[in-house]
Amino acid sequence: MIRKLIWLALVFVLAFSAFVGSVNLHLQNIFHTNSLDAQIFFDLRLPRVLFTFFAGAVLALSGLLFQTLFRNALMTPYTLGISSGAVLGAGIAIKLSLGTLLFGFAAVSVFGFLGALFTVFLLLYLARFLRQSHAESLLLLGIALSLFYSALLMVIFYLGSAMQNDMLIRFTMGSLSVIGWQYPLIISFAAVILFTAVYMYRFELQLLSISQDQAQLKGVNTKKVTVILLVISSFAIGILVSISGPIGFVGLIVPHIVHKLYPVNISKRIIKTTLFGGLFLVLCDTISRTLQTQSELPIGIITAIIGGPFFIYLIISRAQKR
Amino acid sequence: MIKLDRLTCKYENKTVLENISLKIKTHISILGANGSGKSTLAKAICSLVDYKGKIFFEDTNIQTLSLNEKAKLLTYIPAKLEIYDPDISVSEFVLLGRFAYKKSFFDYSDTDKKIANEMLSFLNISHLSHHLVSELSSGEQQLTLIAQALTQQSKIIIFDEPTANLDPHNSKIIANHIKELKKRHTVILITHDLHLAAYINTPVLFLKDKSLYYYEKEDFFDDATLEQLYGVKFESLAVQYD
Repeated sequence: MIRKLIWLALVFVLAFSAFVGSVNLHLQNIFHTNSLDAQIFFDLRLPRVLFTFFAGAVLALSGLLFQTLFRNALMTPYTLGISSGAVLGAGIAIKLSLGTLLFGFAAVSVFGFLGALFTVFLLLYLARFLRQSHAESLLLLGIALSLFYSALLMVIFYLGSAMQNDMLIRFTMGSLSVIGWQYPLIISFAAVILFTAVYMYRFELQLLSISQDQAQLKGVNTKKVTVILLVISSFAIGILVSISGPIGFVGLIVPHIVHKLYPVNISKRIIKTTLFGGLFLVLCDTISRTLQTQSELPIGIITAIIGGPFFIYLIISRAQKR
Repeated sequence: MIKLDRLTCKYENKTVLENISLKIKTHISILGANGSGKSTLAKAICSLVDYKGKIFFEDTNIQTLSLNEKAKLLTYIPAKLEIYDPDISVSEFVLLGRFAYKKSFFDYSDTDKKIANEMLSFLNISHLSHHLVSELSSGEQQLTLIAQALTQQSKIIIFDEPTANLDPHNSKIIANHIKELKKRHTVILITHDLHLAAYINTPVLFLKDKSLYYYEKEDFFDDATLEQLYGVKFESLAVQYD
């Protein structure tokens, strides 16, 4: 019953999300092709809601994937430093005042994507020196990388002009505002590819969620599956972070909420986690657009305010179980 | 028949097994002190740890087999179920034994599900099929692990201390199942439980100081031999599982 209500509420928010914001839209005006309302609705609001939905889906699904592959509840692209890599990449692009476009995309996005991807391959390379089962060591590596990146980012801040720093701060806070359909289409494409890959490997993931040894004994090529899924999800995350900036906590909390609501094996949680992630981020974004502040609150702040306390709750409840 | 050819195994930079060569014709029990390398040997046979040297089954080098072929050849049952995400039902868990037999990317077939159910009823645990694995007792977990291994239909089943976490009653149930399984599978039993080893009634490999010693059953379960190997006094071992 509670589960149904939660889903109903989230779908309700999704349906109305495009109608709320700093400008109130009137339904009858939206379908007048040349009206301002129609422009706002079709060029700003609707692309934004779709972008947000697929972004949430990518974040949640990647979180579930990372937690399962490394058998560690705290593993996400964010805690592993992949998002920080993107921020540093973006920071370098801003500091170098690169022209606005590279290969048809914003230079900030291209560099952000490269930063995320570089971090993934660095982690994969460093992980070879760890013992297979040591997820904690990998997590520590990720945290160490994040801190190292932060220090480099501080250098960029220190050397940057006021305008550059303002751009960079806005990027690090995360933003879901998009104009037009280019980015929503790109991210939906990434989300579909990621989802398809995870769904195809659902039986392998079921075995990996037990243990690496069990999976191998039953015939799973654990190395191959891990690398394929990590690389695909890192591409998706890299693309996302390069457009929106880092959005923390979604990848961490959504898989855990869905697991609490549905204590079933992972292959049955893939679709639910994906949808819940999308709807959850739409909810956060809708909140950020309806709060009566001077301008909308960056999404990273909303997810962190909801996610931070939940994260603490999670750690404490896990500690009490032991 | 399993043949080890100059097998050397390191575990955390410590050499556990050194230059071991031997032939195992059929069922065998592996005994030895803690840390003597019993589990490492079993894991090496299953390719779960790296090793130098070669391991053959009949005339095939195990390392040349595909993962699916390996799964159909041998399986390993750990002493304790270690599971990251325990929210999986017993029937789902047992069905995972069919992974090597199913078509890639497709669901388990009805035949797979039928075999899994048969194994659950063979071990008298059909009533647990809808329970979550996390809710089971140690004895039930061991039976579930065995059901999964049987569903895998491997020729060789390696038991790693199957009675280590069990009370005598559950140990007896497991012991009888292992004895029964000897008819259809090659059983490799790793254990400290001398009663179990005596009851399962196989030749014994004793691991000591990185080397292996082979005993026929009658020669091993002899108070003087046991005392010499373990350095503890024994008085006629009572077999309790009959």
